[in-house]
Amino acid sequence: MCGAMLYADPLSGTALPNLSIKLMDGGHTSLDELLKEGPVLIDFWATWCAPCKKAMVFLDKYHQKYEDKGFKVVCISTDSPKSMSRVKSYIRSKKHKFIVGLDPNQQIAQKMNALLLPTSLIINQKREVVWIHQGYLPGDEIEIEKQIRLSLNLEAEKSE
Amino acid sequence: MKKLSFILLFSILFSQVSFNGNTETRIGESRTGFYYNETLINTHLQYGDFNNWLQFEFSDPPELGRSLNGLRKLRLEYNRGDLAINLGDLYEIWGRGIVLNSIDDQPLDRDTGIRGISINYNAHPFEMQFITGRSTFVQSTIYAPGFNNRFHNYSTSYNLYGIDLNYTLGNHLLGTSFLQSKEDHPDALADTLDLKNQLMSTHYTFNNTIYDFYLEYIMNRSFEFNKEDEYYQQHVDGRGFYGNVSLYLDLFSLNIEYINYQFGTLDPLNRWDPVSNYGLFQPYQNPPIAMNIHENVLMNRISHQSDYNNEVGYKIEIMGMFTDWIDFFGVYSISSRSISWVMSSEDFSWMKNGDPSYLPILDKAATPFRDIYGELTFYLFDGKIHLKTGYADSYDVTEITSNIKTDTSSSLYYMLTSGQTLPLHVSYAMGGGWSINLKLESQKLRKGFGRIDKLNGATVVDTFYSDFYNDSNNNGFPDQDEFLDFETNRFISISIGKSPYWSVALTMDQTNITEAGSDNSHHENPLETFLGVDQSKNWINLEVIYNLTPSMRLSLLYGSLKGGLICTNGVCRIIEPFDDGFKLGLTTVF
Repeated sequence: MCGAMLYADPLSGTALPNLSIKLMDGGHTSLDELLKEGPVLIDFWATWCAPCKKAMVFLDKYHQKYEDKGFKVVCISTDSPKSMSRVKSYIRSKKHKFIVGLDPNQQIAQKMNALLLPTSLIINQKREVVWIHQGYLPGDEIEIEKQIRLSLNLEAEKSE
Repeated sequence: MKKLSFILLFSILFSQVSFNGNTETRIGESRTGFYYNETLINTHLQYGDFNNWLQFEFSDPPELGRSLNGLRKLRLEYNRGDLAINLGDLYEIWGRGIVLNSIDDQPLDRDTGIRGISINYNAHPFEMQFITGRSTFVQSTIYAPGFNNRFHNYSTSYNLYGIDLNYTLGNHLLGTSFLQSKEDHPDALADTLDLKNQLMSTHYTFNNTIYDFYLEYIMNRSFEFNKEDEYYQQHVDGRGFYGNVSLYLDLFSLNIEYINYQFGTLDPLNRWDPVSNYGLFQPYQNPPIAMNIHENVLMNRISHQSDYNNEVGYKIEIMGMFTDWIDFFGVYSISSRSISWVMSSEDFSWMKNGDPSYLPILDKAATPFRDIYGELTFYLFDGKIHLKTGYADSYDVTEITSNIKTDTSSSLYYMLTSGQTLPLHVSYAMGGGWSINLKLESQKLRKGFGRIDKLNGATVVDTFYSDFYNDSNNNGFPDQDEFLDFETNRFISISIGKSPYWSVALTMDQTNITEAGSDNSHHENPLETFLGVDQSKNWINLEVIYNLTPSMRLSLLYGSLKGGLICTNGVCRIIEPFDDGFKLGLTTVF
């Protein structure tokens, strides 16, 4: 399989709407606001999803590593009100630095076609989805970082 | 020229249109004739300030529910500045979902969506939502004719409207909601009752870097239309309270939730009957619960079923990191009915025993539930090894069938499920994208009914009759010496994966008992033959997941899956076992 070739172009060549995202610490932001300085990785997760939490350890590293290049990681919790109270406690206890959004009725996940948890998307500054990945297997973090670097033009696209 | 102008106009319009979507196909067939074939297609179309969502279903039949071929859901959204207007199928949450939390939970075939219009105005610090529309709720229940695990047999519908107002002042948020529905409620005599249900709530939130809290008080009232006198007569007056306090310290976070739902107090005989009992908890409510949502397979099988009409309880969670590579998590949850119940020795009717309590009651006559869970997670060798282990202890008095008391004696019959579960999950990233994952879960389960007789305060009988037996002589029924005190369950899953492309998992689900009601017709599949296991006590399957592209995922499962109770967020449903067959799943994003 020719991995990098498949991942380079926008999925449909069309842009996402400028979605409003509710933030864990109160207030709202928008997709345009998040994309001001560079591409964004949006990750959908929940407190009861074990693979999501494994992936978030690496996502936090990448957020901090590439933040100065304008890149951001935004982890959007899809916890319903039944487990919503645990979201902030979990993030604080893990000392994660990425931005945390809330999507309890999964309307943002639906608009971004996140069918499974976790689902990660990289969105460029034109609001185009340039890469999407469903699920998490140990080792996926290598591919995630590769795609982040591609979106930041830090790594020339290579065909295998 | 006209044609050219049309093409030009069409091109201009569509150059500004964004289109994306996804598809999800699931096909399965087992040797016992269980078959399903369903495809869901979601499309999103954006043009300027307008968004359009369409969901199509093509099923014959779906895994749960009835067949549908065509449009299932639709919504047109308009967003401009502070204003958002949605028209179509609405899924909304107000506050923590105690007044309104409409969901589409397809694994349980539970859809409480509203078809109508919502108008949202969000101009900080003021936020308002108005909603009106119609909701139809379908369910499978033994209290209506034609019960079937797979298809619904009972339906209620609601014409509703409501408003939710919120005002933010610094770290404080104050909100209030009102929701009224007019319900068509078929009763046990096949008559349709005309009901008016009202929910009113006030909530307050405080956010801070060190601590947060959320408080909500709810009142529910229901009125039944009296056909003779032609007026609505009040027949329900309930209330509820929810509180959540979180504390964030450097070493750990503490989270406490308290629930006190008294939307309707039903006796043990009527607790789960949605046909004869109405105007109480509404399907479009979906509030928080005082229980842990477990990540483990075996713990979820004995998950507590919340009684939203009458449940009092609390949950205390603590989580943090001992070091950079060891996390800890602990949770204690407890709940019960707000009162205990006794049975009249004269006519055997149920009566409330005492005043409602603000804290869970440990007396079995209040059907208490308790769950303790502790977990440690290790990230070893620079995150290459991820190890998680824990211990869960749960105790759930699910029903009381009799509780007769006199001045000197009492006799209580109850049903109990209790268990201890040990989960162990290990994953090892070997490099080059290869990984091995191992899940081991072991559970010791006790289930059955108990009897406690007391005379002058002293216990004279305390016996427990187990539901479990091992039909070792295969005569189809339990002999006296075949009863077992405990069921031992094991869940083992071994998988190997190559990131980001594929993974293969072999899963074994084992028990040591004969399933009650089972006719031992479980078909042996070649995996079970190969492994030489007892086919009546093992369910083995092999699943391959392949990411054809980053946006296309294929899964293929062969083998058997254990059925039984599955629970999601306090709502449970019985699922038929899947016996020696194939399941295919394909998801695509476009």
